[in-house]
Amino acid sequence: MIFSEIYGAYYLCVSKILEKAVNGSITDKDIRHIAEKYAFSESLLAIEPALKKQKWTLLQPDGSTPIQHIPTIPPSTLEKMWLKAILLDKRIKLFDVRIDGLDNVEPLFTEDDYTIFDSYSDGDPYNDNHYIKNFRTVLSAVKSHRPLRIGIKNKRGMLNEVSVIPEFLEYSEKDDKFRLITSGTKNNTTVNIGRILYCEPLNGNIPKHNNQKRNLCTVTLALTDERNALERVMLHFSHFEKEAAKIDDLHYIITIHYDSSDETELLIRILSFGAKLKVTSPESFITLIKKRLLLQKQNLSSNKSTAR
Amino acid sequence: MAYKELIKNFDKIRDYMREFYVYGFKSRDEYNKKSGRSYDDERRRLESWFEDYIGFHQTSDGKNVFISIDSRKTHHNPLYKAWKAKSFTDGDISLHFILFDILYDENISLTAGQITDIADRDYLSEFDGSRTFDESTVRKKLKEYAALGLVTSEKLGKKVLYKRTESLHCHCRDALNFYSEIAPCGVIGSFLLDRTGEQSNIFTFKHHYINQTTDSEILLKAFLAMKNKNEISLTSISRKGRKNLYTHLVPLNVFISVQSGRQYLMVYTRRTKRIKAFRLDYILNIEESDTAKDYEILRETLKKVQKNMWGVSTEGGSGRMEHVRFTIHFDQYEDYIFNRLEREKRCGTVRRIDETTAEFSADVFDSSELVPWIRTFICRITDIYFSNPVLQRQFLSDLNEMYEMYGINDKGGEQT
Repeated sequence: MIFSEIYGAYYLCVSKILEKAVNGSITDKDIRHIAEKYAFSESLLAIEPALKKQKWTLLQPDGSTPIQHIPTIPPSTLEKMWLKAILLDKRIKLFDVRIDGLDNVEPLFTEDDYTIFDSYSDGDPYNDNHYIKNFRTVLSAVKSHRPLRIGIKNKRGMLNEVSVIPEFLEYSEKDDKFRLITSGTKNNTTVNIGRILYCEPLNGNIPKHNNQKRNLCTVTLALTDERNALERVMLHFSHFEKEAAKIDDLHYIITIHYDSSDETELLIRILSFGAKLKVTSPESFITLIKKRLLLQKQNLSSNKSTAR
Repeated sequence: MAYKELIKNFDKIRDYMREFYVYGFKSRDEYNKKSGRSYDDERRRLESWFEDYIGFHQTSDGKNVFISIDSRKTHHNPLYKAWKAKSFTDGDISLHFILFDILYDENISLTAGQITDIADRDYLSEFDGSRTFDESTVRKKLKEYAALGLVTSEKLGKKVLYKRTESLHCHCRDALNFYSEIAPCGVIGSFLLDRTGEQSNIFTFKHHYINQTTDSEILLKAFLAMKNKNEISLTSISRKGRKNLYTHLVPLNVFISVQSGRQYLMVYTRRTKRIKAFRLDYILNIEESDTAKDYEILRETLKKVQKNMWGVSTEGGSGRMEHVRFTIHFDQYEDYIFNRLEREKRCGTVRRIDETTAEFSADVFDSSELVPWIRTFICRITDIYFSNPVLQRQFLSDLNEMYEMYGINDKGGEQT
């Protein structure tokens, strides 16, 4: 059972309140601060009176508690099974993991139980020792915010050395690849971990260029809800920041905000929906679509066999 | 009943989250299945849980509320919050903390009666006119926690002794931050992170379908049934909103799409003797039944048919296979296009015809599943063939519709 109060925000919040109370007493200000941090935006309205009016017999009016130890609960069977399952994952070698106490625990799932059927086949080499070493160096640098010197093989196979400030590691399930998002270089802010030839921590600081901000663009689409297009499109683009408006039962307008570096990918994803999805703005995006359609029309016109 | 932030049942909020996050264009009146009051309560809950991601549209029909999240900007799935909103009674929460305070050490073993006495004497007596727990309530809670694996019970003569389960010695902070986002049922990792306080912002995720978490409970039931090699019965809802019950199904595998956001439970249906896919987000409930004695054989059958599956469609009973083939052209400096074909070919075959031409072909149960992917090569396709003539016509007619839609004229130029 996943949906249980023992995993809930209120239990977590009260646990933190009691932790503070066990170590002395707790003030109203502390309670408010903890509720804001660990629960939802309106939770304080329920948690504070429940504790103060002693509906929950855990806290005295003076902020003391009969609870004597810092509240803890052991992991549930479900949590142990899930942990055991991730220990069997192909990417686990990337991490420094030590978990004792799972010897007699069954994994919740194994690779025989699920299939990711549409990820790309040229994912990162998670069993490669060189890759693992580079990944760990990068991960350590991300955590410590220490600059890195990285040698990368560029698209033409040439060595390119850059000094960067690591910001975070980005993982794409579709690409099955990790990328290091960096600042510190003028142009290149993303480094594919799989392309790293060598990397090492860099002593001292490097100048920070203000280029880590993503360049967000907007595309507006007109959707015709035939052949279940509405459901397919909305789910497909759900991971973007977006807005949708209904025109009538058949027609919708969708606005998607995307990173300019993803424009080509977004363009082909829009094309994949065929005539059910039309770009209505900006004009520059429409031009890109038209260019591809023009070429396509010429390709198939010159090959009569296809037009049969 | 007065509004409460917490909920007893996840099903209703699951619907609303999907509507607000995936669609987000419906007005209050369009939620006509539910009462206006119910809509107002659910909207208020979602606003409270996801306050940073809620947006509004003012239309002539009223205010439309939506959840909009750029998954690349978030380090932790905000939708997990919904799983942390289960309601409880005043007694539940009080007893929870008192119980684990009494059983604070793994070496303490006590009966339900002893725990009840200590709770009354050392905890509840400190409160004016406060409640007491009767022994049966304490025993019921202990049994509930034993089922969850939080406490263990041991019989000693006529007595049943309870103690807390051993803690884990866990050094896995980075792995937890990663897998809580990308592993199936990742919300369980999020529960662990909440308690250890080890959430960090070292990872972000691209192409991240965070909405899949709303189906975690269904996914969990599917995994448990597979682990037990049990048959299941399943209630699902059709696109038109009709509930259907399916029985005597053998769950074989969960197929997850990282390109469409969909998850499917692949089952063998005893009645039709075929393998069928059920969308997880359309499944309302799964219940385990008898053991499937032929479980391993059926799993092998799925593995065999996978060689001809592009997505989740399997044989329709006729055993007929469809052939699809297309050729693309690319320039000499565009080897990445050929590489794209190679890495995205799945069960298909790619043949390099010459330096600038490559051919893809596949024999699949349902070639319509390839159509969206083939369209991503628009501008490069020089030849295309579907053995299914309906699909062949449809593909070309869709292309013509696109030309027309963007004003591309018959001569291959732009209409003025």
